[in-house]
Amino acid sequence: PAALPPAPLGFTDVNLNSRNTYEVSRRRSAPEHLPHGGTAPAEPAPPPQEPAERGRHRVGIAGAGSSFAEFFTRNFFTKRTKELKPAVQSAPGWKLFGKVPPRENLPKDSKIIQQEYEARTGRMCKPPPPSARRKNIEFEPLSTTALILEDRPANLPAKSVEEALRHRQEYDEMVAEAKKREIKEAHKRKKIMRERFKQEENIASAMVIWVNEILPNWEGMRATRRVRELWWQGLPPSVRGKVWSLAVGNELNITPELYEIFLSRAKERWKSFSETSSENDTEDAGASVADREASLELIKLDISRTFPSLYIFQKGGPYHDLLHSVLGAYTCYRPDVGYVQGMSFIAAVLILNLEEADAFIAFANLLNKPCQLAFFRVDHSMMLKYFAAFEVFFEENLPKLFLHFKSYSLTPDIYLIDWIFTLYSKSLPLDLACRVWDVFCRDGEEFLFRTGLGILRLYEDILLQMDFIHIAQFLTKLPEDITSEKLFSCIAAIQMQNSNKKWAQVFASLMKDNKEGDKNHSPAPKS
Amino acid sequence: MQKHNQKEHLYKLLVIGDLGVGKTSIIKRYVHQNFSPHYRATIGVDFALKVLNWDAETVVRLQLWDIAGQERFGNMTRVYYREAMGAFIVFDVTRPATFEAVTKWKEDLDSKLVLPNGKPVPTVLLANKCDQGIDVLMNNGIKMDQFCKENGFVGWFETSAKENININEASRCLVKHIIASESDPVQSIEPDIIKPHLNSSKIVSCSACFKS
Repeated sequence: PAALPPAPLGFTDVNLNSRNTYEVSRRRSAPEHLPHGGTAPAEPAPPPQEPAERGRHRVGIAGAGSSFAEFFTRNFFTKRTKELKPAVQSAPGWKLFGKVPPRENLPKDSKIIQQEYEARTGRMCKPPPPSARRKNIEFEPLSTTALILEDRPANLPAKSVEEALRHRQEYDEMVAEAKKREIKEAHKRKKIMRERFKQEENIASAMVIWVNEILPNWEGMRATRRVRELWWQGLPPSVRGKVWSLAVGNELNITPELYEIFLSRAKERWKSFSETSSENDTEDAGASVADREASLELIKLDISRTFPSLYIFQKGGPYHDLLHSVLGAYTCYRPDVGYVQGMSFIAAVLILNLEEADAFIAFANLLNKPCQLAFFRVDHSMMLKYFAAFEVFFEENLPKLFLHFKSYSLTPDIYLIDWIFTLYSKSLPLDLACRVWDVFCRDGEEFLFRTGLGILRLYEDILLQMDFIHIAQFLTKLPEDITSEKLFSCIAAIQMQNSNKKWAQVFASLMKDNKEGDKNHSPAPKS
Repeated sequence: MQKHNQKEHLYKLLVIGDLGVGKTSIIKRYVHQNFSPHYRATIGVDFALKVLNWDAETVVRLQLWDIAGQERFGNMTRVYYREAMGAFIVFDVTRPATFEAVTKWKEDLDSKLVLPNGKPVPTVLLANKCDQGIDVLMNNGIKMDQFCKENGFVGWFETSAKENININEASRCLVKHIIASESDPVQSIEPDIIKPHLNSSKIVSCSACFKS
């Protein structure tokens, strides 16, 4: 019975979702209330359920006061039938489960929804406001037991007046304290909610700009200052794949049909591979076939080791076959490159953001960029040029850390290989990696190295305290709590200018040096 | 290096072998005492540090270099061999091809790395995933001791990172041989253990020379 709210309200999903989780867990904890709620689609909006919880809670505590509880429950049910209708009418679409009949006032302003929602959560989470209910129960914090108020059992002497008064006072203090705490928490929740809404509104408005203004005029607008700035903020997830595709381009002119051809070729190969898996056959066919089949086996081994924590690329997972297909088709399309470790991560990120054929097209074109081609062909001398260029900017931007690394002979290949091969998708949290990809699509290879310097800058103080093995361990397994705000402000602070030379110029001059003579430029190994 | 009469040794160890044989799992088991079937593929190199209280006077710090197994990375990852004092070569008992690659890994290692005394670095062979039952060693009828002798391994162990079998033992064996080789009297004066000239025909450019 999951009728999702219609599109105009889509951007409030997060809150609705979190709200809904709460509801579900509450239902689990109080299954006996389910039958009363009727069938799922007709289930009432949750707020009226709350008193039932409270009532039940009280029964547990008060023990003897069952008649009160009964009264209360009865009261609650009559109350609910009264409350049910207006609740549904006033808040269309805020309910995730159950049918929400279409209404003329459907495209509601998000602010109104927010206010209504907040009012509702207010009623849900805060102690009951001074309302009709107050007549029935005094304010009672959820966590206190109120036993202190109870009179002693009849077979014991009654409390003295002073004692009763003291208890009363202590109880009041406890209640006041708890009330303060809960109000504080409610404020905090409200603040978080407000921030989240703001963030969502930003995303929603950015999305509108991307969809309505930028994408229809892509070539004319992509390089404008306004678009570039908006781009830096991160692409809204709904247009991310599209923008990546456009930015990466399709120099190779791959069509979805071409993808199908290479995919069917890959499938034939898998079939014959699994049929004749005995080793003797492959040896006859020569090294190239053996290599290719080795490639197929490598893909199989690596797929399950791609984002294992997401459980979607593993065998039996929803994207397992898809990842297999894209990588397999690529090895048929580019036998000269074949499958190289790291590719599975890149293909996986694309699959998460694009349709199958589009993911393949973006994958093949992305890997065809000079930097990616150099790395995935393991062109070692080219890779060393990239590392050397990186070090030029490393020294320029972070001279202290640069010397620290030098003193341990800690070279960029120790940490950059993983970062560049997987485009940070393995070392950074996935959402953050996607933001790096956003700007990588905007700025090209330079941004990959700039990101690396941003990471070093972010952790400079920590790294300066570490020795070789700890730095190496740290950089090959970055902290998981890294946030995009902090990282991107560090990346922004990295200057990609070296005595007026930009990345491309520095790189080009290193390439030129290479041609003029290697000997002058190979430093003696330090031990 | 020393705290009163306590000696401290720092050894760099390589862990090499074909892709997916369980190098990372062995290291995680050894260093962190845990196992997960869901490790991510290693790209380039990963690191770990293990400290052993070898005996009353000696502390051994092991720097473990977990090197990506894909053959293609060859030229790139061989740079990481520099200054290593010992190595594990790992294969997967359920995949015969990974055992066939063992001699290739060993030859490659010996061609690029020798100890100051001119000898090959002590290397232990690990037959990993032995918990999975399929015993390629028995099936092929290979006498492992003989194999080790012929190929210059100082020892071999059937290991399981999953079931924690023989990993500590294998490490002790390797460290024992490293300590023994260190006290070998035939010491070379040349501290640089890289001998690029030996294999200049094999590698186009000596990658190590670019390093500093």
